[in-house]
Amino acid sequence: MATTTSQKIKLGVFVILGTLILISALFFIGNRQHLFTKNISIYAQFENVNGLQIGNNVRYSGINVGTVSKIEMLAESRILVQMVVEESTGKFIKKDAIATIGSDGLVGSMVVNILPGKENLKSVIPGDTIETYSRIGADDMLSTLNQTNENAALLTSDLLKITNKILEAKGTLGVLVSDTILAQDIKLILNNLKETSEQTTLAMQKINRELANIDFNESIAGTLLSDTLARNRLEKIIISLDSSSHEISGITKNVNAMIKEIKEGEGALNYFTQNRELVENIDTTMINFKESSIKLNENMEALKHNFFFRGYFRKLERQKNREAQKN
Amino acid sequence: MEDLKNIEPILEIKDLKKSFAGNAVLNGFNLKLFEGENLVVMGKSGSGKSVMIKCLVGLLQADSGIIRIKDQDIEVLGRAELDLLRTHIGFLFQGSALYDSMTVRENLEFPLRRHKKKLKLNESTESLVQEALRNVGLEHTIDLMPSELSGGMQRRVALARALILKPEIILYDEPTTGLDPITSKEIIELMRNIQHTYNTSSLIITHDVDCARVISNRMILLVDGINYMQGTFEELSNSKDPKVQAFFKN
Amino acid sequence: MDSNTIWGNVKSFFAEVGDMAYFAGRFFIEVFKSPFEFRELLRQCYNMGNRSLLLVSVTGFILGLVFTLQSRPTLMEFGAESWMPSMVSISIVREIGPVIIALICAGRIGSGIGAELGSMRVTEQIDAMEVSGTNPFKYLVVTRIVATTLMLPLLILIGDAIALFGSAIIENLKGEVSFLLYFNQVFDALTFADVIPATIKSFFFGFAIGLVGCYKGYYCSKGTVGVGEASNAAVVYTSMLLFVIDFIAVFAADIFYG
Repeated sequence: MATTTSQKIKLGVFVILGTLILISALFFIGNRQHLFTKNISIYAQFENVNGLQIGNNVRYSGINVGTVSKIEMLAESRILVQMVVEESTGKFIKKDAIATIGSDGLVGSMVVNILPGKENLKSVIPGDTIETYSRIGADDMLSTLNQTNENAALLTSDLLKITNKILEAKGTLGVLVSDTILAQDIKLILNNLKETSEQTTLAMQKINRELANIDFNESIAGTLLSDTLARNRLEKIIISLDSSSHEISGITKNVNAMIKEIKEGEGALNYFTQNRELVENIDTTMINFKESSIKLNENMEALKHNFFFRGYFRKLERQKNREAQKN
Repeated sequence: MEDLKNIEPILEIKDLKKSFAGNAVLNGFNLKLFEGENLVVMGKSGSGKSVMIKCLVGLLQADSGIIRIKDQDIEVLGRAELDLLRTHIGFLFQGSALYDSMTVRENLEFPLRRHKKKLKLNESTESLVQEALRNVGLEHTIDLMPSELSGGMQRRVALARALILKPEIILYDEPTTGLDPITSKEIIELMRNIQHTYNTSSLIITHDVDCARVISNRMILLVDGINYMQGTFEELSNSKDPKVQAFFKN
Repeated sequence: MDSNTIWGNVKSFFAEVGDMAYFAGRFFIEVFKSPFEFRELLRQCYNMGNRSLLLVSVTGFILGLVFTLQSRPTLMEFGAESWMPSMVSISIVREIGPVIIALICAGRIGSGIGAELGSMRVTEQIDAMEVSGTNPFKYLVVTRIVATTLMLPLLILIGDAIALFGSAIIENLKGEVSFLLYFNQVFDALTFADVIPATIKSFFFGFAIGLVGCYKGYYCSKGTVGVGEASNAAVVYTSMLLFVIDFIAVFAADIFYG
């Protein structure tokens, strides 16, 4: 029954060693996928890896298929990313597959997503480099949009003042009538403006609705927009978009009134000769205005493509198509 | 005492040796306990008295030597046989060793719970408990917890517990230690009564000279791990040996 | 003894581990041998469960409360308050609940066993039991280890439930999440892969608490100092052992439920 100290020590050593072996065995069994599977390396070149790190997951059609094994700067704006992918799933990756960098959930680490290519192409072989696609980061998008909007607001308020002045000083309009180029310009601008303001209003309504839905929406966009920072920024943009579209419609009204008066022709010609400076002013303003309305259009387009609205606009498109089919 | 040599002892220790971490405590101790006698083993603190008595009941394992109780060598007994043998031995511990999470009744019932049937005790558990408590004069404490009793009462309850299986041999480990002289006398008186009533053989370990004087038929002095001298109380107290005298001088 | 040198310390460490392994081995031998001390086992189960229930309840409640209060602002920053129920429930059920409650029980039950058996050893009550023909290992040790092994999973489940209740209160007050919605989300988030490994783990936690407490108390050295050391060492060693078990359990759960 009695056990000697040396027996106890032996058993103690045995127990400790056994525990260590158990732990390491569990550890290696837990990582068995990476120990016992064959892997292949494929490459992709990015301009910006957005904080991708070695060891981040690589996903193909949403399944984890491997990890990032090397990130190397080749030249300015050219970063080579090496990915180790399981051979068994590697055969499904076609040569024209596209790699993008995204984040794993809202707060997760970065992942490389490989989007499937066309079915009839060959599979990648080890060492292949696949295409990449960088989407505009949400942050860049938002800040550019903000800036442009501020510019547009400034411009439109200037324009408002000027058109008001024009209305007050009726004599100038004669000049405008005689200047065909300018008149055409105005027409074009008006069309642009109309279109833009319509689009803006439409977009505003949709965005507002979207925002109203966001708190109850569990989609990624919903969660992202609940992020106070992004949300504040977006709200600011939207408010300025809203006000500029109001201003634009104000201008449109003014210009409309102006044109009406031009048609009625109240001897503006005299005024024009006397007030050449003003005309020039109007001319440049109109050009500016044109530019800004194009920019606004671009912004709206960009907004459409931004990823968390994309789904929504797609839905909109689909709806339109459906309605078109019905008709 | 010479005539006793021919009688089989009920308990016998031969050449008992025990050491702890290289320090020899018992160094060839011999002892014979005969039926019906009160044998007192005296020794200084740390002389190995408690070690010896614990070896007797198998609480400690001896390094060498033979311990025979009722003609059974306890070294070779299995667990069940040892347990059965132990029911023939009552043991009064130094500090009473009452189970302090149990009432007095439960304390007394504890030895009965496994062995009542084996020993063919016909009385009910209740009557055995009552009888044991009556022997020590503490019937009224039956539902109290040990912590509610005084030291002397605890010792008496412990004695009742040691006696509940009606053992043939009772081992007393320092029965009077930690008690005031009057309570000590009461306990000693009780021990004598019990010896008369049940005709038990007692092995008493003590360093209390008064206790030894009252109760002993025969004494063994344990010095330096061996039985240094034995005889009656008178023989030992009149001895000229300085080591023996050290015990009896106050 | 060369207990002051490093080698001596290492040797005594291994000796202690080995001794405890022998002790555990003896437990496994004796637990299956009759006679069984059912009455004492039930008493111990009742004692441990009953005596620890209030402590576990209060700890669990505060745990859920504080955990929710502290994690809410972070999740709110991401606008992910709606994840609170699932996040809190998974972390409580999988890890925090079992570990915290096991640690609390190591302090409550483990030290109690260490001190009780230690003082029984010192006052020779264990010897007295041995002498009166009852196997004290069976009566004292086996019953206690079995009782902790059985009771701890129950205590942990109760603690988890109360922690979730505490968390639901905070969500209800701060986030205006109804209890119904909260528990709906909790049970949506929890899977058997969360509950089963945690429950299996808590059996081992219970075994560890009982084993170390009994070992330290049963082999308590003489004197009242020894009792104090026994109960203290029981808590310290149990806590360490709990984390080792948890460590292994996480790996194992990863394999079977990963």
